[in-house]
Amino acid sequence: MLDQTEGYITEDGRKIGGVVMEMKNITLRFGGVVAIKDISFDIREGEIRAIIGPNGAGKSSMLNVISGFYVPQEGEVWFRGAPRPQMKPYQVAQQGIARTFQNIALFEGMSVLDNVMTGRLTQMDASLWKQALWKWGGAEKEEVANREIAEKIIDFLEIQNIRKTPVARLPYGLKKRVELARALAAEPKLLLLDEPMAGMNVEEKEDMSRFILDVNDEFGTTIALIEHDMGVVMDLSDRVVVMDYGKKIGDGTPDEVRSNQDVIDAYLGVSHD
Amino acid sequence: MPDQLLFAMEVTLNGLMAGVLYALVALGFVLIFKASGIFNYAQGVMALFAAMTLVGIMKGQVPFSHLINAIFGTDIHYFGWHVPSLIAILLTCVVMVGLAWCVQYFIMRHLVNQEPIILFMATIGLAYFLEGFSDLMWGSEIKKLDVGLPQGINETIDRVTFDWFGYGFFIDNLDIVATVIAALLVVALVVFSQYTREGRAMRAVADDHQAALSVGVSLNFIWVMVWSVAGFVALVAGIMWGTKSGVQFSLSLIALKALPVLMLGGFTSIPGAIVGGLIIGVGEKLFEFALGPALGGATENWFAYVLALVFLVFRPQGLFGEKIIERV
Amino acid sequence: MAQTHDGVGEGVSLPALLKRNVREFGSSPAYREKEFGIWQSWTWAETADEIQALALGLINLGVREGDFIAVIGRNRPYLYWSILAAESVGAVPVPLYQDAVAEEMAYVLEHCGARFVIAADQEQVDKVIEVQDRLHQFEHLIYLDPRGMRKYDHTTLHEFSHVQAQGRAAHDELIGELERRIATLTLDSTCVMLYTSGTTGKPKGVVLSNRNVIETARASSSFDKLKLDDEILAYLPMAWVGDFIFSIGQAYWTGFCVNCPESADTMMTDLREIGPTYYFAPPRVFETQLTNVMIRMEDAGAFKQRMFKHFMDHARKVGPKILDGEPVGLMDRIKYAVGDMMIYGPLKNTLGFSRVRVGYTAGEAIGPEIFDFYRSLGINLKQLYGQTEATVFITAQPDGQVRSDTVGVPSPGVEIRIADNGEVFYRSPGVFVEYYKNPESTAGTKDAEGWVATGDAGFIEPDTGHLRIIDRAKDVGKMADGALFAPKYVENKLKFFPNILEAVVFGNGRDECTAFINIDLTAVGNWAERNNIAYASYQELAGHPKVLETIQSHVEEVNRSVAEDQMLSGCQVHRFVVLHKELDADDGELTRTRKVRRRIIEDKYADIIAALYDGSPQVSTVTEVTYEDGRTGSISATLDVRDAPVVALQQKMAAE
Repeated sequence: MLDQTEGYITEDGRKIGGVVMEMKNITLRFGGVVAIKDISFDIREGEIRAIIGPNGAGKSSMLNVISGFYVPQEGEVWFRGAPRPQMKPYQVAQQGIARTFQNIALFEGMSVLDNVMTGRLTQMDASLWKQALWKWGGAEKEEVANREIAEKIIDFLEIQNIRKTPVARLPYGLKKRVELARALAAEPKLLLLDEPMAGMNVEEKEDMSRFILDVNDEFGTTIALIEHDMGVVMDLSDRVVVMDYGKKIGDGTPDEVRSNQDVIDAYLGVSHD
Repeated sequence: MPDQLLFAMEVTLNGLMAGVLYALVALGFVLIFKASGIFNYAQGVMALFAAMTLVGIMKGQVPFSHLINAIFGTDIHYFGWHVPSLIAILLTCVVMVGLAWCVQYFIMRHLVNQEPIILFMATIGLAYFLEGFSDLMWGSEIKKLDVGLPQGINETIDRVTFDWFGYGFFIDNLDIVATVIAALLVVALVVFSQYTREGRAMRAVADDHQAALSVGVSLNFIWVMVWSVAGFVALVAGIMWGTKSGVQFSLSLIALKALPVLMLGGFTSIPGAIVGGLIIGVGEKLFEFALGPALGGATENWFAYVLALVFLVFRPQGLFGEKIIERV
Repeated sequence: MAQTHDGVGEGVSLPALLKRNVREFGSSPAYREKEFGIWQSWTWAETADEIQALALGLINLGVREGDFIAVIGRNRPYLYWSILAAESVGAVPVPLYQDAVAEEMAYVLEHCGARFVIAADQEQVDKVIEVQDRLHQFEHLIYLDPRGMRKYDHTTLHEFSHVQAQGRAAHDELIGELERRIATLTLDSTCVMLYTSGTTGKPKGVVLSNRNVIETARASSSFDKLKLDDEILAYLPMAWVGDFIFSIGQAYWTGFCVNCPESADTMMTDLREIGPTYYFAPPRVFETQLTNVMIRMEDAGAFKQRMFKHFMDHARKVGPKILDGEPVGLMDRIKYAVGDMMIYGPLKNTLGFSRVRVGYTAGEAIGPEIFDFYRSLGINLKQLYGQTEATVFITAQPDGQVRSDTVGVPSPGVEIRIADNGEVFYRSPGVFVEYYKNPESTAGTKDAEGWVATGDAGFIEPDTGHLRIIDRAKDVGKMADGALFAPKYVENKLKFFPNILEAVVFGNGRDECTAFINIDLTAVGNWAERNNIAYASYQELAGHPKVLETIQSHVEEVNRSVAEDQMLSGCQVHRFVVLHKELDADDGELTRTRKVRRRIIEDKYADIIAALYDGSPQVSTVTEVTYEDGRTGSISATLDVRDAPVVALQQKMAAE
């Protein structure tokens, strides 16, 4: 059993801290359709938490609830020890929750660097007046500091060679990486990844897995991700929530989940291709 | 130098100056279109509203005086003070920001994710509402606007060109001022959108709403900001046109002149708006000069639209617009 | 050979040269590296400080004199410092190819018995850890980039900056020892050990002394008048002798600045930003760049294309002459100047060659058209001929005597002798000390008088004194009728066509010659795109009938050209196949420096070769391939065998 307050130590020796985010009895309906039914789980500091399930299980809806794009009809979202009032997605982002999208939402007309810099928007606070004064208002210093962080992330994700390339010209796999870079630039307290491996070939998937692990390792970022490819998730995550038809059918370490009969049944029920 | 050529040169220069004013109006359209995909039909009326407000504040006019007098039976029209033009301009800016906020909160907020045609209809509604509203607020009579900008023939240019060519060019000081101000405005807008946090957020919103939300940008805030900036541009255009030809209803029709400018320059390009404005300005003046007498005059009324039509056929995205690529 | 320090002054070792550089131009930039989007730079004084800290740290870790320290990674200032620090503490630095797989690395590490390894990042560390159980003497691993390394067991693993910090902390205790070790270095102590990739067999460790490196650097620097304010871009493997001489030998001798790219992918951007004055690239790089230019031009507007063609034609006519200082008419000069302003200048700028004063290419023969293209732009591109055992320089082309078909005159201090069988021998101060732990090979290569066999066949042109290389001596064979068989000569002619990436010609001891051909995916793929030819894979494109026809026309053209040379007219290609896969170093078909491994290819594709000689119109085959991640698989294909007409050999018959 997990200790509710102290956290735990993973197999590879990382220390996982207390609860960062907790979903309490979340129910989400679209008209008469129940997308999420009474689901509760938590995300702990420093861990990689996966939400998996077959297509249509409600994973993406859950992520959209966390990031404020959907408002659940019932239940509470607790963030850093306090219930979160109803919030707009941009307010959620300002709280330190960054995300990527399954279908990639990048600023296609901007360069990679500009995209990553937009990730810094939440971290900039010089007023327009200070910015007008530029050097004398301290805005130049802020800009340089932000650029430095953006560059470190560009370096980290090995996209230096496309720094100045307009995003629209990049292939799919690289766009995914740029989107991750933009999310990381916000130095998020919680990073949400919506199917980071969707549509990738084996090699790209391996690259992306490595980046996710490295991000968690290097910056200690808490990561929650959605994925329907079981294999990838099991290698990657510390704990896994399994959803099926809007309900939670399993929650625990990859090993626990793998031996869970409900999970096995749910996954045998869907074809693997 | 033959006289005809000198006249043509003078006409070209005047055309350039007029083009700057067209460009100013077109700029307001481009800003809103880029950031929110809305073609703001009300941009011209906003210029009218801004100019009327400015005149009203300067003259110390009591807003809604007709209404007040009608209801309470009073007969007040003026507060009896005069506001210096600089302060009046600042106050008008505040009013324009207020207008932007109202537009966003009472109209656009409810129309997020609607078809562009619905949004366009909404701005038509807004245009007529605003027209009536400004009449109600400030009265419908023709007003003179003078914020202290220099007007009349520029003596220096007249003298210098006379010394050179034996023929003095007639260039209006106001046109020169307008050109300088327009240039400053454009530089300021570019700096704002490229180098400030708000500008970056604005470009983000223009590019992708969902992505902008995910990096913590409030769409409402940006849209209020964009409408405010467009309002500010409208104010500048209103001051220029108002000073030139008086503040009256026809001011709102300059919006229609901006249309061919946009077709030429593209709806999404700030440099396009400027170059488009200049081309139209010079084109219509030169056309009138060269062929006007033969065609019975008043070609300025339609030349711009025909030119835009020709452009639409051969280069639908405009001179600088984003290329329209059909993907299979 | 003189035993005094004549000519090199106090510079008896690289650490001694470093001291001199700090004294004489301490505030000049020594290294630059682009990191986080900005060029960071280090002066010679700062460099010396970094190297000293690392050297002290190495002593602190227990490095003994005579130890071997392997250095693995891409070109970074820190790794160049590692080499200097290793020599400073009396150890022998051994740079390794960073793209080597763990197996290859294991052999080299075991062979030299490295006690220490300095690796760039997690990827290299993982490879070393994978094989470390087999390495008896291996003790400590130092890594540069801490990313992903936190979870590793750090008992014998050290972060580069920590080693330096410990070195700095122990400065007072250890500086005496470091100074003592530096003082014992002489011209004859070992400077570096470089493993040759070798076209056959296991790699051999070539031991180079300070004398080899410093004398060579001195002579070659004065040959090309290299100066303190020259700039080079270090992007070729650190384990390759050329990089060692350019980025360390010559850099330490003249004090010029070594610039390291941000990553392998940004090399072209970095090249443009730095604008080196002294530049080396293998022919392949020049070829790729030219191909890219041509592709871009084909996408350009009609007017631009016409202008480009017009001025390039003019450049081809007068450019090389102007470069060689030959007389050129005033009008032609003016036109060239206009072209320089409109075409050549911007083009050179895009390529990053605006400032190149001395450019070299070597390793393989370069296509005359490619060579002339760069020369006509006004880039002083020259050829040199060298090998690891000679510390690079055997011959080089002096300014003003540059041709695409020779490799130049003997470099200063080098003597050349041609043996009866045509093999080229040389003797110079740069001749290597020995192959490490391999006296037989040493004796087989270098005779008692110091003459070294190059393994290449060639001759010296009587009127110019320039050396011309025909082929590898052992590859120059005899055909069944006794005619000379020089495969490389034919292969190079084939490879000069942009569509052909690689060619292998067979025919030793046979009646006629045949060939394998690899298409160039970039060039052919682009052609396919323009002509709306759809293809899903390399294999499909390579087998497309239209592609085969194009290649056939190239082969026929080569046959006509080969037939002109009476000595070699027997080498015309009678039949050929276009291979279904690219020859690849990962499959052992090429060396890491991309030279063809003939024996291995002959074994592996025996079935296809058989089909080339038995007249069959098609051949089915299955080939093993290794993917980038080390896994293997196989691909099967049916290939067309094409006949190519040859020019009849009447004249030769008559001569006999």
